[in-house]
Amino acid sequence: MPGNHLVLCVDDEHVGLQVRRLLLERSGYKVITAHDGASGLHLFREEPVEAVVLDYAMPGMHGGEIAAQMRAEKPFVPILLLSAYVDLPTEVTRVVDIYMTKGEGAPALLDKLRSLFGY
Amino acid sequence: MNLYQLKRVLLQTLLLPILAAVLVAGALAWQLLNAQNAVTVIEQIDANIATTTLITALVLDENTALRSFQITSNEIFLQPYDLARKPLADNVAHLQRGLEGQADALEKLTGFREVHTRWVLTTAEPLIAAVASGQDTRNSGLNLRAKAQADNMQRLLGSIVQAQQERRVAAIGKWEMELRRTVVGLIGSVLVGGLIFGVFARSRLHVVNQAFQTTLASVRRHAQATYDSEQRVRTILVSLVDAVVVCDLSGSIALMNPAAEHLSGWKEADAMKQPFERVFPLGAAEGAAAPPSPRDVLEKEAYALLLGESLVLSRPDGAALLVDRSGARLQEGSGTTTGIVLVLHDVTQQRRTQAALLASEKLATAGRLAATIAHEIHNPLDSVSNLLYLIQTGDSAEENAEFIALARTELDRATQISRSLLGMYRESRTAVALDVTDLLESVLLLLQRRFIQGNVKLDKQFVTPAMVTGFPVELRQVFTNLLANAADAAPPGTTVTLATVVVPGSAVHDGGAHHHRPGVLVTIQDQGAGVAPAIQAQLFEPFFSTKGEAGTGLGLWVSKGIVLRHEGTIDLRSSCALENQGTTVSVFLPFTEFAPAESEMSGAPSEIILPQHVRTGPDHAA
Repeated sequence: MPGNHLVLCVDDEHVGLQVRRLLLERSGYKVITAHDGASGLHLFREEPVEAVVLDYAMPGMHGGEIAAQMRAEKPFVPILLLSAYVDLPTEVTRVVDIYMTKGEGAPALLDKLRSLFGY
Repeated sequence: MNLYQLKRVLLQTLLLPILAAVLVAGALAWQLLNAQNAVTVIEQIDANIATTTLITALVLDENTALRSFQITSNEIFLQPYDLARKPLADNVAHLQRGLEGQADALEKLTGFREVHTRWVLTTAEPLIAAVASGQDTRNSGLNLRAKAQADNMQRLLGSIVQAQQERRVAAIGKWEMELRRTVVGLIGSVLVGGLIFGVFARSRLHVVNQAFQTTLASVRRHAQATYDSEQRVRTILVSLVDAVVVCDLSGSIALMNPAAEHLSGWKEADAMKQPFERVFPLGAAEGAAAPPSPRDVLEKEAYALLLGESLVLSRPDGAALLVDRSGARLQEGSGTTTGIVLVLHDVTQQRRTQAALLASEKLATAGRLAATIAHEIHNPLDSVSNLLYLIQTGDSAEENAEFIALARTELDRATQISRSLLGMYRESRTAVALDVTDLLESVLLLLQRRFIQGNVKLDKQFVTPAMVTGFPVELRQVFTNLLANAADAAPPGTTVTLATVVVPGSAVHDGGAHHHRPGVLVTIQDQGAGVAPAIQAQLFEPFFSTKGEAGTGLGLWVSKGIVLRHEGTIDLRSSCALENQGTTVSVFLPFTEFAPAESEMSGAPSEIILPQHVRTGPDHAA
């Protein structure tokens, strides 16, 4: 069962981000959020983040670039990339652990997140 | 060699023989004169001889008469003596005249006269007197004297004759010699003159020949050059891919190149003198006015040339081709029109290609939009999905109510985007009344993400309503293209200004064009790096792109076509200077007289395009 793992959620869509946070908190995770790559990376460095749920399409840096930078700094933190687009280039999906599209539904997201922690 | 020089040479060449002829004539005349002289001399000599002979005869007569008288003492026998006196004197005088210039002979004649006179005085008269007086005259002394005198006289006369004869011979000899000399001289000079003349004439002829050769060579060269030039022009005509047709003043075909034969399906030989319209039945593209015929152009001064017109050519084999036609009057140097030359350019393939490219551009646009739309719809739906889960797993009615409300909002958002999408791809074949501002807002809905991602602020200065009549789908395409360009060009942190203004007629605007017609002016201004002047001209051409492989380059060209179809204008002004970097695109849409056929949201869509299954709709010319 997921213990209070700290998950970092990054998404520029405010409503989506809040709803996702609620969802994850209700499922037992501790959640911190960021609206863009810069603040997301800042949190990533400062906090003992155990997993990242990352949106792809964002202003400035997109999810792929953010993930690459996270990998460079803390390669053992698992990253889940969320995207509203259907097809993302392989160089992006390669960097992350799991890639899924938005709209697959809350259970799918929770499942995949659990798998990141080895459950 | 010019005509004057030729005349001179000819003159020289003719003059010599004339000269020679004159010389010969002169020589002959001189010879004739000589002969005449000789004859005169000889005649004179002959006359002298005759006269001398006569004198001799007279003297003999005298003597004989005397002797006879001496013998017979009859006075009758003395008659000849008396009768001889006058003739003798006359003849002697005559002879004297005839012997003029001959000193010797004259001396002899004088001698003769003296002797004769002495004879008369000392012999004849005494003798007569003696005989008359009956004396005996057989005095040997008198007779001896008489004989001596007579002998003397004979001798003198004889020598005169002889001298004359000698003279005669000499004269003849001289004449013969002269004659010989003349003949020889003539022959010689003829030979020499002939030689000289031959050489001279030859040299003159040579000069003329040279000049003639040079002129001939020059003429040949010019003829060759003209021929070569003509061949080159002919080759050009033959090699041209475009059809070239020359018509005479009556509008009938005078010349056709092979490309024209190919295009029309007629052979040049058959097409000659046929009216142009018969060989090239051209019709206008749909809806346009009938094209002017060559005769129209020739007759009406207003048409100096036909500018490119797009027409439909019906071929004998039934095919219909799209051609661009242009033409110009054929004019001679004096300015009189001699015909008209027409060039026909087969654009069928080009048009097909363009149409295909337009379709693919639509496809690309649709593809690009599909991605945006997917994003815009997936996000709210994802939230709705999560919220439903929360509602399902939640237990607080209050919270659930909140969740439901939130879900509804998100769903509305998705619906709005989806509807807008449907409206966008619903094609209308007739123009409708539309509000430009509304249209821009709906475009922005889909493009907002792009602006946010690029961190570009959007400054909207809208006036509403801004009604025009037009084709909403296409106008959306235009503004999507232009706004996307602005969003891409604008550096992060800058602002893109989007403004609509209603323009009353005859106003001058800063959009770069004078808008004398009333309408709506849309301006999109970014603060990007700008477009270099050299590139600005090419921006609205197909296949031109500043985005490298990322852009198909059709966007602006298509947009221009659409704006033109709305009888509007589009232009771009840009500055690369650092103080006011940026680009402003102005689109003017006039209030046109299209009859509004349907409003935007009523009726079933004729074509729906969904993001996942993108199909091309039926083509309509942009």
